[in-house]
Amino acid sequence: MILQIDNLSFSYDNTPLISGASLSADKGEIICLLGPNGSGKTTLLDCILGFHRNFSGSIKVCEKNILTLSRPELAKLVSYVPQVHIPAFPYTVREVVLMGRTAQSGILGAPCDEDFEICDSSIARIGIESFADKPYTALSGGERKLVLLARALAQKAPLIVLDEPTSSLDFKNEFLFLEILTDLVCNDGISAIMATHALQHPLYFESQGIETKAVMLCRQGEIRVGSPGELITPKTLLEVYGVLASVQEIQGKDGKTVRTIAVLGNDIKQGE
Amino acid sequence: MKRAKSAGSLSLPVKALLLFLPLAAVIVSLFFGRYPISLREVVFSLFGSQDVALTSRVTVLQLRLPRAIAAAFVGASLAVSGAAFQSVFRNPLVNSGILGVSNGAGFGACIAIVFFGGGIFTYILSFVFAVAAVILSYFAGRISRVTTSVTMILGGVIVGAFFSALVSIMKFVADPYSQLPSITFWFMGSFASVNYSHLYATIPMGIGMLLIFFSRWKLNVLSMGEREASSLGVDVRKVQILIIGGATLCTAAAVCISGTIGWVGLVIPHIGRMIIGNSNQKLIPVSISLGSAFMVIMDLLSRTLTGSEIPIGILCALIGTPFFVYLLKKTKGGFKT
Repeated sequence: MILQIDNLSFSYDNTPLISGASLSADKGEIICLLGPNGSGKTTLLDCILGFHRNFSGSIKVCEKNILTLSRPELAKLVSYVPQVHIPAFPYTVREVVLMGRTAQSGILGAPCDEDFEICDSSIARIGIESFADKPYTALSGGERKLVLLARALAQKAPLIVLDEPTSSLDFKNEFLFLEILTDLVCNDGISAIMATHALQHPLYFESQGIETKAVMLCRQGEIRVGSPGELITPKTLLEVYGVLASVQEIQGKDGKTVRTIAVLGNDIKQGE
Repeated sequence: MKRAKSAGSLSLPVKALLLFLPLAAVIVSLFFGRYPISLREVVFSLFGSQDVALTSRVTVLQLRLPRAIAAAFVGASLAVSGAAFQSVFRNPLVNSGILGVSNGAGFGACIAIVFFGGGIFTYILSFVFAVAAVILSYFAGRISRVTTSVTMILGGVIVGAFFSALVSIMKFVADPYSQLPSITFWFMGSFASVNYSHLYATIPMGIGMLLIFFSRWKLNVLSMGEREASSLGVDVRKVQILIIGGATLCTAAAVCISGTIGWVGLVIPHIGRMIIGNSNQKLIPVSISLGSAFMVIMDLLSRTLTGSEIPIGILCALIGTPFFVYLLKKTKGGFKT
C-alpha cells in the first residue's frame, strides 16, 4: 500500500472535523476527495503532509508512519502541489522545479549533478521546456500549475498530494492538467490524492481506466468511499450538497463511456 | 543536457570578477587619503620593505589596511544578511536591521558610552545587545501560536521600538557636551577608529557569512513560504534558526564596528538581483562581493571627499539612492512580478 489511513480523526479546538476516516491507495491509484466547502478536504491533506500532527488514528505512507519521519524523509515519500500563490521573488521556472530536489541534500547541502538532471527530465516530462527559463511569476495560472506539478515530480515521491489543482484553470487547461496527471499515474506508477470541487474529475479518471476512489466528506464528519460511478449519484448529491442533479452516460471518443452531471435545481423537496 | 545546471550556477569569469572586486577596492583604497603616499611607497610597505618613510608605512599598514578590511567585511555582512532576511521573511522591503539589531546595538553602545566611558566596552556591549535584541524579537514573534513571517517582522519592529525608547532615555541622561555627541556620531556610523584589534569582529562575520553561504539553496525554498518549504523537505524551524543566527552574527559584529549603516542591507541585495537574477544560489555570493566593494569605496570617499570625515551612513544613502534609482530605471526592476 502506498497510502494507508486508519481511523483518522482530527478536531480544531475541540470541534471535530474528521472522525474515523479510513482510506487506502495502491500504486497507480488516484483518490479524489470531494465534499462541500469546510468539510475537511484540505485538513485531511494537511494531515498526510504532516502539517497537522495532533490527529488520532494513523497515517502510513509506504508502510511508514508519517509521524516518525523527519521532514526530508517525508518529502521523499510525499510530494505536494499547493494552491497557486505568487512568491515574493520571481525565480525562473527551472529554479522552482529544482526546489523539488531539496530533500535530497543535507541542511547545508547543494544540489548535485543528478539533481540537475532530474530537474531537466521533470521539465521535459511535463512538457514545459518552452517557458523553462521564464520567471515563474510571469506565467499564466495554468502554466504555473504545470510548473508546480513538475516540481512535485522532481521530488520522485510515490505519492502526490494535490490541493484543488484545477481551481484557477480555464476549461482547456483544466483538462490538459488532468490528462498529464492521468499519464503520470498510468505510466510512472505514481499514486495521487487530490482534493477537488469538480465532481466530474473522478468520473473522468474512471473513464480513462485509472483505479479511482471517490471519497465524499460530508459536513457531520461522515465519510463515504466508493468508485466514482457508485458514489456520484443523484441521491448522494442531493444528500450532501442539497442539489438536484442528474448523472448521464455519454459515449465518448473510442467507445469509452463518460459520465457527466447536469444540475436540475436545488429544491430538496423535489427529490423526495 | 544539464541546462538546469548551467542556468543554476555562476560562470567562471563571473566568479573571478566577484573575487576580484572587493580585493581591487581594498587595494585602491590603500593609495588614497589625506596623507599623500606614492605608489612605490604603498607597494614597498605592503611587501614589508624598510625602505619607506615610517609615516607612510604606518599610514598604509596600520591605518588604511585594517580600515579597508573592516569596511569590506562590514559591507559584505550587511548585504548578505539583508539578502538572507529578505528571503526568510519573504519580503523585499526588509533590511539587515529588521530584527532590532541596530537599536539593540545602539542601546549597548549608549550604556558603554554613558557608564563605562566608551572604548572597548562600546564594541562588546553593542554586540551583546544586538544579539539580545534578535533573540527577543524571535521569541516575541513566536508568542503567537501561528508563527508567520509577518509575526516575526512584527516582533522585530516591536523590540526595535523598545530599544529605540531605551536609547532615547540614555540620550536624555547622557552628558550633553561629551557623551551625547559620541552617541550621535556612533549612530551615524564610521570606520575612523578601526585598528587591527577590531578585526576580531571579522570572526563572527566570517562564520555568519559561511552559514548563510552554505544555506543559500534553502533560502530559495524558504522564500516560498513555510508550508511549501516543509513539504519540500526543509525543517523550517532549524533552517530559520541557522540562517537568522548567521545573519545576526554578521550584523551584530558589523554594527558594533561601524555603527548603524542601514542602507546597504536593503539595497545591495536588490542591485544584485537586477544584475544576476533572484536565485539566492547566485545572489548570496554576489551580495557578499558587491557589499564589500561598495562599502570599501564608500569609506574611501568618506575620508577623502572633504577635510573632515563624512559619516559613512550618510554617504551610503546619499550616493547609493540615486544609483539605485538609476538601476531600477535601467533594468525596469529585476524583481518585478
